[in-house]
Amino acid sequence: MTEIWVKNACVIDPLNHINGEIMDIAIRDGRIVESVSDRADVIDAQRCLTLPGGIDSHTHVSGTKVNFGRYMSPEDMRAGRTKRKGKMHVTSGYYVPTTFGNSYRYSAMGYTTLLEGAMAPLEARHTHEEFTATPHQDMMANTLFDGNWAVMDAVREKDVRKTAAVVAWTLKAARGYGIKLTNPGGTEAWGFGEDLTGIHEMVPHFAVTPAEIITTMMRANELLKLPHSVHLHCNNLGKPGNYQTTLETFDIVPDLNPDRQTLYATHVQFHAYGGGTWKNICSKAEEITSSVNSRPQIVMDMGQIMFGRTMTMTADGPMEFNLHCLHHNKWSNHDVELETGSGIIPVTYSKKSAVNCIMWAIGLELALLTKNPYQCLLETDNPNGAPFVKYPEIIGLLMSKRYRDEECATLHPETEKRTSLCALERELNWHDIAVMTRAGQAKALGIVNQGKGHLGIGAEADIAIYPIRTDSVDPAREYRKVVEGFQKTRYTIKRGRVVSRDGDIIVDGANATFWVDAMVPEDLKMENDPEFIKRFEQFYTVRMSNYPVQDVYLPRGRRIETEVFT
Amino acid sequence: MIIHDVICPFCGCLCDDLELECEGGKIIKVQNGCALAESTFMTDTRLPAPIRRTESGWEEISYNEAIKETAEILQGADRPLLYGWSSTHGEAQSVGVHIAELIGAVIDNTSTVCHGPSILAIQEVGHPGCTLGQVKNRADVIIYWGCNPIEAHPRHMSRYTTYATGFFVPDAQRERTVIVVDTRRTDTAGIADEFVQIEHGGDYAVLSALRAIVRGKASVIPAKVAGVSKEQLIRIAEICKTAKFGAIFFGLGLTMSRGKYKNIRNAIELTDELNRHTKFVISPLRGHGNVYGSNEVFTWMTGYPFAVDFARGIAFYNPGETTAVDILRRGECDAALIVASDPGANFPRAAAAHLAKIPTVVIDPHVNATTALARIHIPCTAAGIDAAGTAYRMDGVPIRLKKVIDRGYPDDAEILKKIYDRLNGGKGP
Amino acid sequence: MRVILESKVRAKPNLPIEAEAIIPRNFLKGTDLLVYEGNKERTLSELFWIFVEGTAVSPENIEVILKGDTSRIKRVGEYMDTGSIVIEGDIGMHCGNFMSGGTIEIRGNADSWLGREMRGGTILCRGNASHYCATGYRGEKKGMQGGKVEVFGSTGDFCAEYLAGGTVHIHGSAGDFPGVEMRGGELIIEGDATRPCGNMKSGSCVILGTVHDMLPTFEKTRQRVLPEWKITADVYKGDVANRGKGTLCVRS
Ligand code: SF4
Ligand SMILES: [Zn+2]
Repeated sequence: MTEIWVKNACVIDPLNHINGEIMDIAIRDGRIVESVSDRADVIDAQRCLTLPGGIDSHTHVSGTKVNFGRYMSPEDMRAGRTKRKGKMHVTSGYYVPTTFGNSYRYSAMGYTTLLEGAMAPLEARHTHEEFTATPHQDMMANTLFDGNWAVMDAVREKDVRKTAAVVAWTLKAARGYGIKLTNPGGTEAWGFGEDLTGIHEMVPHFAVTPAEIITTMMRANELLKLPHSVHLHCNNLGKPGNYQTTLETFDIVPDLNPDRQTLYATHVQFHAYGGGTWKNICSKAEEITSSVNSRPQIVMDMGQIMFGRTMTMTADGPMEFNLHCLHHNKWSNHDVELETGSGIIPVTYSKKSAVNCIMWAIGLELALLTKNPYQCLLETDNPNGAPFVKYPEIIGLLMSKRYRDEECATLHPETEKRTSLCALERELNWHDIAVMTRAGQAKALGIVNQGKGHLGIGAEADIAIYPIRTDSVDPAREYRKVVEGFQKTRYTIKRGRVVSRDGDIIVDGANATFWVDAMVPEDLKMENDPEFIKRFEQFYTVRMSNYPVQDVYLPRGRRIETEVFT
Repeated sequence: MIIHDVICPFCGCLCDDLELECEGGKIIKVQNGCALAESTFMTDTRLPAPIRRTESGWEEISYNEAIKETAEILQGADRPLLYGWSSTHGEAQSVGVHIAELIGAVIDNTSTVCHGPSILAIQEVGHPGCTLGQVKNRADVIIYWGCNPIEAHPRHMSRYTTYATGFFVPDAQRERTVIVVDTRRTDTAGIADEFVQIEHGGDYAVLSALRAIVRGKASVIPAKVAGVSKEQLIRIAEICKTAKFGAIFFGLGLTMSRGKYKNIRNAIELTDELNRHTKFVISPLRGHGNVYGSNEVFTWMTGYPFAVDFARGIAFYNPGETTAVDILRRGECDAALIVASDPGANFPRAAAAHLAKIPTVVIDPHVNATTALARIHIPCTAAGIDAAGTAYRMDGVPIRLKKVIDRGYPDDAEILKKIYDRLNGGKGP
Repeated sequence: MRVILESKVRAKPNLPIEAEAIIPRNFLKGTDLLVYEGNKERTLSELFWIFVEGTAVSPENIEVILKGDTSRIKRVGEYMDTGSIVIEGDIGMHCGNFMSGGTIEIRGNADSWLGREMRGGTILCRGNASHYCATGYRGEKKGMQGGKVEVFGSTGDFCAEYLAGGTVHIHGSAGDFPGVEMRGGELIIEGDATRPCGNMKSGSCVILGTVHDMLPTFEKTRQRVLPEWKITADVYKGDVANRGKGTLCVRS
């Protein structure tokens, strides 16, 4: 039995309506409890800001695509190298660090749970292998369905139950967590070098539209009672004028779930562009946020970009190729049979580029114009917009108008004309930030009842104590202190163990992987469906029996079983 | 007993549809596999126990003794080299990396002598590729460049390309155009619709010419390039541009001939150019069953796919400097651990000879040419035969190798963990 | 001030030494420097006899002289910004990496990656330089960006790969693919070269000797007299396999 007594903590725990109270937290055997014995280890938080462990609800840290980003980037590897030190393994890399690099740096920032944004089921085993080597965060994986042949067949037949059954079988086989759609239909079209330009365009050879895929999947998702909603990377990412596609997509989202959103729209900054060319691109953050403000069924995340060098990597193969034609840098592409695509290219976001400055401003606008912070979560689509180590700077920018103004003064002059950022006075508070970095994520991912994202009795003891005194720091003026404070926790506690102190990892990690075992009625089980089996054996290049991820790949798998539908 | 859907661990195709018949801890029949698979499963003779070289010949020693001595050899070294890894599973590879990191060793895998140049090229220009099923289901043009799959990857064409029935190519034989490019007329060239014979060392020039033609600059190209006529080049470029989906596979004929990684880079850039007209992909034909897995494991752990030098505590990578062949040729290393590979047979003579001058330990299920250079040989399980574990197919698809029989040998990952524990004063990785 | 470092005889002479600490500036504060031999950290004095003559108040007045067997010593002069280094014999890999100022003179031969990612200053190599002379790092888009590398002998393959700025002057011959992926700067080869300037994007290259296996993707534009070399040269544009706008001049 291990016990910890955290005293004098300045706690913000939005889900339990605690906002800056000085209190004590008792921990026993990995959970938060009423009280502990007097043999408990004592941590004096000295009235420092204490939050539930950070949760990233959309990041790319593990799997085929991420590892290929590393593989092709020796120049980045030398940008962030550390030696073995105590319990810490060697790390390499800045924007695509090694698994240990990701894990240590996230932990130093107080993050204890991560959702990998894109996993192709055929390559799921790889993602899980890397999860095991990312030891200080609990992990879960969005599973890609955007170009899934069996799904598109069921959608064409307008069969929600069949669609749900395919999803359930695939999630279980991949040990995945939720449904991810990346440029739905577009990745299949990319199989022959094409893309789609709108949500009502037909996917070649499959006679379905992105709109049909999205709506059917939302219904299937709710039919299966999955903890998370459909997680969507909209069509037309990164194209001037794409905000219309985004708004059209938001328009077709019904409100199907009283406990959480029905659609999670990811990295919306990349989907909020007006204009028609790179020359006249402008912000449509106001249109996007006014849509979201009137639709509680939608949660989005920022997809903030930050200036500097990074790597873009997404299942959206056609988008990456277009980007490559602009940048003429290296380009990797990796389409996955019957499932999805992917692309990778390095980019540098520069203050000299009007386009990049406008992108930067749009992300911030989205966060500042969304009324309810539960509807706009903080992330960069790591590493697409910026490596996650930039989160503290984003927090600083959201909390300080002065910081934003100082930054804006260094940007391309068009930024002010084509975005409204400079006019926005809003400064987010500590509570907003706590929502946008953990409570909101826990709610959106449906893991509150797994004990994530809050510090109530029974919650998992994932806690971040930052060297920030909210009673003495004025974030509007002293934004540097805010940025520094969020860069390194004093303590990161993971499942009741102190894992990181002042930025250094001090124990070996032992993370868990959450996955969803969705129940379907007996007659809908795909493993008994002769048509499904036949098609699988014909067109995949692995045998159906070799496809599912074996349990050995999840040494601490946490299976979430859903209720069977009728 | 019949075991279905067994994975053949021999080559990068990792065919997963084999049927094995086992009886009393022995494999008696292999079905669906090629001849290479058959010999992999059927001819599997191993040492009964670890052996150590003495003045008078080899002596048998216990596993404990062998492990202890290996740890001592590595511990004392100023520049230990850990090499091989491509015929074992990821679990062993990852312990290997932890050992390297712990003792400041150089760790390298067999990419050094096969597709290292492909990796260097990819690091310059990226890699437009896909899983093999994309090719099977979609490709109407297949190019084999500098490789002879009929010999080295016997089922590649029937499972993934030329003869495989695909969703969009139901009549594979008729609907696919096969182009073979090589310096000599190989067996594979025999089945080609179009054979392009290039003079030795002329690949780079031919690739450059093709790129120029695809870019509309045919006027610059002379009448013959490295023995290939301009007409044929223009014809090939046209076949590629009008393909619905084209796939290039290349082998050691391209990676190991004059210009090495620049050849691959040029082929990738040709693929890139063709994507402006249609869909095109390119992939190396990886040799050893899990060599790609060693690249993957090394990469997520160290940031680099091969040739990683931990001498300074951090991971440093510079092929040509930190690659096993070069380190041996320069006589740098003073101890070597060779796992699941046979540099004694595959390295240039001067490099292999250095292994005999230093204490070399081999961990491998089979006695091989490196054994003759070694001080100790520790037999172990063979991944995919009597040990389960992860392997990565040449296209990056991870597959779990099966344990089909038990022969009572320890797993190489277990042996390596024990070595690690000794080096780390009793604490695991 | 002169600092003379004479290499000591080592038990394992083939072990590489990594000595980026050997730059003039570092000797301002004494000779208490650390280097690596294989995977072991060593003090400079474990590996060298050290003699210091005179004093200096600023690093530009410091001259470092390396004597003895220095062929396995890597990274000498890495990040050097001023002062001078003279190597009396051969030098190991990566001499003058990232150098931005000062002078390095190598009286013998240089191993691979001489002047990698150099930004300024001068390197003179009296003997031959091995592969990747005046180039970049794996995966990086730019190689050498400024300064001058002059080799009086010949070089190995891939000389001036990814050259982006500065001057590389080879008095002898270059091996295979000199100037490959060039995107700027100037490359002069007085001797012969094989397949020069493959995939070049920009920059200029002059070859006075014989070119072997000229690539088919260079477009001959005109002839020009090069007064500084007293020759007439064919001027090529390329590489047209690429969107290349480089210039390659080859003696007519
Ligand atoms: S092609 Fe390769 S993997 Fe397939 S059976 Fe033959 S040797 Fe084994
Ligand atoms: Zn993403």
